[in-house]
Amino acid sequence: MRYSVLLALLLSVSSLFASERDATTVEQTNAELKKVRAEAAQIREELAQAKAQKEEAFASIKAEEELLKKNSSMHISVVGQGVAPMNTASPAQAYALAKRAAIADAYRAIAEKVKGVRIDGQDTIKNMMIQKSTIRTYVQAMVKNANIVETTFKEGLCEVEMEIMISHSDFAQ
Amino acid sequence: MRSRDGNNDFSLRLCSIIIFGSLALNASEYLISYKYIIEDIMLYNETLLISEAMTKCHGKPQEEFIFSKSDNKDLKKVISENATEFIDYIHRLGLHIEHKGRTTNLQNSSTTTLVLKTTCFKVDFNDNFVKIAPLK
Repeated sequence: MRYSVLLALLLSVSSLFASERDATTVEQTNAELKKVRAEAAQIREELAQAKAQKEEAFASIKAEEELLKKNSSMHISVVGQGVAPMNTASPAQAYALAKRAAIADAYRAIAEKVKGVRIDGQDTIKNMMIQKSTIRTYVQAMVKNANIVETTFKEGLCEVEMEIMISHSDFAQ
Repeated sequence: MRSRDGNNDFSLRLCSIIIFGSLALNASEYLISYKYIIEDIMLYNETLLISEAMTKCHGKPQEEFIFSKSDNKDLKKVISENATEFIDYIHRLGLHIEHKGRTTNLQNSSTTTLVLKTTCFKVDFNDNFVKIAPLK
């Protein structure tokens, strides 16, 4: 009888411990679940942020690739560089010649922006080694009504800032 | 017999014909072409050719340019006196651009040519100024 009571007591104590252990495991799993949920929420937030950033980047690219729509105009600004030849008679002549070269460079830049550039590349490879690498570029356009905004001449280099307003009607002619 | 008013009308017409005729005699047509070449961002060659037109040009005068304070009757002299302004005016009229770039083994060289194709200009020589306008 005494042993049976002791056994019953032992059983009840062990069951008590077991229930406590179950409770702690449930708490642990609950905490883990919470943690996982928080992580998932964070990942979702990050994904949303990345998506928003992507959309922003896409919108900026779209803005950069601005199209000339009907009844609208586009402003293009470029900087051309020019250098005077070595054998000039005076600094004034050097300035005039460098400016002429800078204007031509600015015209070329406008033509590149408006009409684009044809590019042709050629690589020669012999015995698994590159022998010659050539890139050819070609631009052809007609530019009118371009305005010089600013001219600077410093240490033999002349820089001309040039702008042009292009309207849809110029191309519709 | 003509009335006084009729005679007055006739003389007015005669005067206007003489005035406009004399103005037309002073107006002449010139062929002008301009070209300059830039090699490796340095001016390599510049050519401005001016010649009096031997046949009549067709078209209407467009954007005009006035050489003020010039009573010279020789267009070449007038242009040489005001070369900078005239070159700027030619730029405004529009130039054809041809650019060729070549990069060989990472060394770049380029040639840019700007051209005003031979264009007929109407030139009016006056007492104090010279007016020039392309015919299109």
